[in-house]
Amino acid sequence: MGMIQANGIRTHYQLMPAKNPATPEPPTVVFIHGLGYDSLASFYLTLAAPVSQAGINVITYDLRAHGRSDRPVSGYRVADFVEDLRALLDETDVEGPVYLVGNSFGGTIAFSFAERYPSRVRSIVAIEAEPATHEWSRKIGGTLTNVVDWMEDPEILAWLEDTYGAHHARLSKVASAVIRATTIVEEVPQGPLLDAEALRGIRCPVLSIVGSEGFQSDNLLAVQSSLPDCRTEVIDGQNHSVLVERHRTVRSLLLDWVDEIEAIPAEVEVGAA
Amino acid sequence: MTTTPITEVPSQEAVLEEISSMLLRVLDQYGLDGFDDTGEIAGKITLDTTFHDELGLESIDLVTVGSMLTDRYGEQVNLAAFLADLDIDDVIGMRVGLLVDFVRTALSRPRLAGS
Repeated sequence: MGMIQANGIRTHYQLMPAKNPATPEPPTVVFIHGLGYDSLASFYLTLAAPVSQAGINVITYDLRAHGRSDRPVSGYRVADFVEDLRALLDETDVEGPVYLVGNSFGGTIAFSFAERYPSRVRSIVAIEAEPATHEWSRKIGGTLTNVVDWMEDPEILAWLEDTYGAHHARLSKVASAVIRATTIVEEVPQGPLLDAEALRGIRCPVLSIVGSEGFQSDNLLAVQSSLPDCRTEVIDGQNHSVLVERHRTVRSLLLDWVDEIEAIPAEVEVGAA
Repeated sequence: MTTTPITEVPSQEAVLEEISSMLLRVLDQYGLDGFDDTGEIAGKITLDTTFHDELGLESIDLVTVGSMLTDRYGEQVNLAAFLADLDIDDVIGMRVGLLVDFVRTALSRPRLAGS
């Protein structure tokens, strides 16, 4: 287990180096998990090993207030998560442009990171994820408030206990207390938000993987239509849990995508010797 | 990284004992909520014990156990690679016995040169 100090946060991360890489400098994928009851485990237990075995360097980490990383009382704007990622890449000496693969809120971080540090991103794979737009802010604000209320609702807790056991009801109470102990619900929706012009500035190729019944079911192509270079893959009959429930599908989409992007000749760098 | 080659596959009992002590170390971080002491739970971990429901561990704990297994048995024992081939329901319902079998199978596999 790796712990590293990044942007003032003691951060839990896991590296899986590329196995038998095809080139001396194999591509690097950074997996970014989602918000709330999530951790690097969602990627570590599904995609991390097969992707590293395909000859790709893998980094995954626990976001602040998640998994085994520190939980400060405040500092939960998207921009804070972007700086955490920048610091993690600096501290782990990852210099080349990387593939950011983000699940849900992890994808939101990826978009804002690419907008802030375009030269450090080769491509984004967004799983059930949207950029931090005004519309996203409105949705996530409502969802976060509802989730915390839901997690403490006596009827819900009773149902959890009956269905999954007392342990789950306890976990739910603990998780909501953790959320309430921070400013996460208030700060996340603040972004800062990306307007149409900022989105047009995200020029790297993007693969948007969405469930037909997921969080973007009202407009599956909304992300694609707001970005200059984005393709959408729809997983039929799937709700928001695309990553954990359909990890084999996501794995093959991701590996094919990396192959496709790696086959594109690198841009000639202006001013390079 | 070099690891001590294990020439003989350890017995089921031996692996269960190792894994039980790893699980206790993970549970220790949570202060063993709901259990009187480590002795009480140590005796209760069997091949049939469920990781999730009975021990109350979460998926992030599996990541920790995976690192412990690799530290103990070498790179050949790659829990993340094993779990990546399971469905989510199998991971959620996982019993300690599945971990024990996984370790013994991984150790019995001939190692490829350079892997």
